[in-house]
Amino acid sequence: MHGNTPITGLKPKDYKTGIKPVWCPGCGDFSVLSAVTKALAHLALPHQNVAMISGIGCSSRLPAYTSVYGFHGVHGRALALASGLKAARPDLTVLVAGGDGDGFSIGGNHFLHACRRNMDMTYIVMDNEVYGMTKGQASPTTAPDWTQSKLTPHGPGVPQFIPAAIALVSGATFIARGFTGNPNGLTKLLVEAIEHPGFSFVQALSPCPTYRPEHKAWKKQVRPVEEEATSDPIIAAQRIQTDDGMSTGVLYQTTVPVWQPEQGISADTGQLEEVFFV
Amino acid sequence: MTAIPNLIIETLPEFLLHAITLERESVERYEELGDSMEVHNNPQIAAVFRKLARYGELHANEIEQHATGLELPRIPPWDFKWTTPESPETGDMEQLHYLMTQGQALIFALHNETQGRDFYAHVAATSTNQEVRELAAEFAEEETDHMNWLNAWIRNLADPDSVSPEDLDPPNVTE
Ligand SMILES: Cc1ncc(C[n+]2csc(CCOP(=O)(O)OP(=O)(O)O)c2C)c(N)n1
Repeated sequence: MHGNTPITGLKPKDYKTGIKPVWCPGCGDFSVLSAVTKALAHLALPHQNVAMISGIGCSSRLPAYTSVYGFHGVHGRALALASGLKAARPDLTVLVAGGDGDGFSIGGNHFLHACRRNMDMTYIVMDNEVYGMTKGQASPTTAPDWTQSKLTPHGPGVPQFIPAAIALVSGATFIARGFTGNPNGLTKLLVEAIEHPGFSFVQALSPCPTYRPEHKAWKKQVRPVEEEATSDPIIAAQRIQTDDGMSTGVLYQTTVPVWQPEQGISADTGQLEEVFFV
Repeated sequence: MTAIPNLIIETLPEFLLHAITLERESVERYEELGDSMEVHNNPQIAAVFRKLARYGELHANEIEQHATGLELPRIPPWDFKWTTPESPETGDMEQLHYLMTQGQALIFALHNETQGRDFYAHVAATSTNQEVRELAAEFAEEETDHMNWLNAWIRNLADPDSVSPEDLDPPNVTE
């Protein structure tokens, strides 16, 4: 978070566009919208200093609903877009949002390198363990024995991707897990993530009532992490690997130099318009 | 009523901030649910949520009057003294469905009002500040009135226990 003079008196609602979300009633993504806008209001960030970048998917519609700068990008490329933006405009608070399909399948490689690069941005993955927008196919976080998709009638059959573990080995410096059933807790995690200097990864467990109605059980399964966040990657790895993926809180946080390219803006918008003339 | 440790509200500004937040978040949520039902082509339930938002708005304005001239504290969302994950009248989003019926929507609202009443009743029973206790008791009464009003509405429904109709074109059928 840099270059932001806070504007006090802004309410979460001031960060919503008023566009009606198309998410299914009961979708966890509503709570992510609520948590993001509460976090922005708490930090009193001026709208023009924040950008929300996303890929494609139900969850990736977030930029349409938040009244900061937004870019609803290409499937799996949110982190690449966000990194480019942050390189050119280090003064912006860059938030990146998307789903588990967007971030861990097609965008999986970008995820690894964004963690490793440690640019100062916050990546929120709304993990519903399914491709919601394309009508319910298995994603990398879907359990191997989930049989409810016609594409994988016997289940995907391969082990689940463990986002927090991958983030840790790839070099992320802030790793947290939240639950949309606890929006105020998620808000706290987002505030900490935004304030953290470096790449912050927040996995938001976000139930999909349409394709994964069994997620109703999550409410009973999630619980706060038992220990304080550690800065020791070995301890973090052990905790993450021995956990069932349902503990929420900051799992790992450390401070290492943020990567930010030196160069400033080398073209003005007029020159860019010439290059991108259609 | 047994006091819940760490959730005792001592000052009038702190209490009013809680009350205003509770009412405003409830109005916003009903508006959001109205939008959502409209988007999903359930206009009857959208109208129910809009009506609840309108009534909530009146109540929120009334409560805000009590705070005129007072400086309210700034409390981060996660440090509010709720016993619920969000403010008590926002409801459990999981209970929603695009085909929900009027009975289901009103039971959802009744649950919200009950949680609101419980919050105020807890403050009325546990605050050490007499002015806060009295005002909280008054607000708890008002929430009880809302509950009675909703109960009467539910009783007047032709079929209060109706279940959602079957969706003949459910979203999870692959083409
Ligand atoms: C290049 C490309 N490939 C595939 C798609 C089709 N597609 C759209 S969204 C999506 C996955 C959505 O799942 P997820 O990212 O988990 O988000 P959710 O909808 O569940 O929030 C896919 C495969 C696409 N839009 N672009």
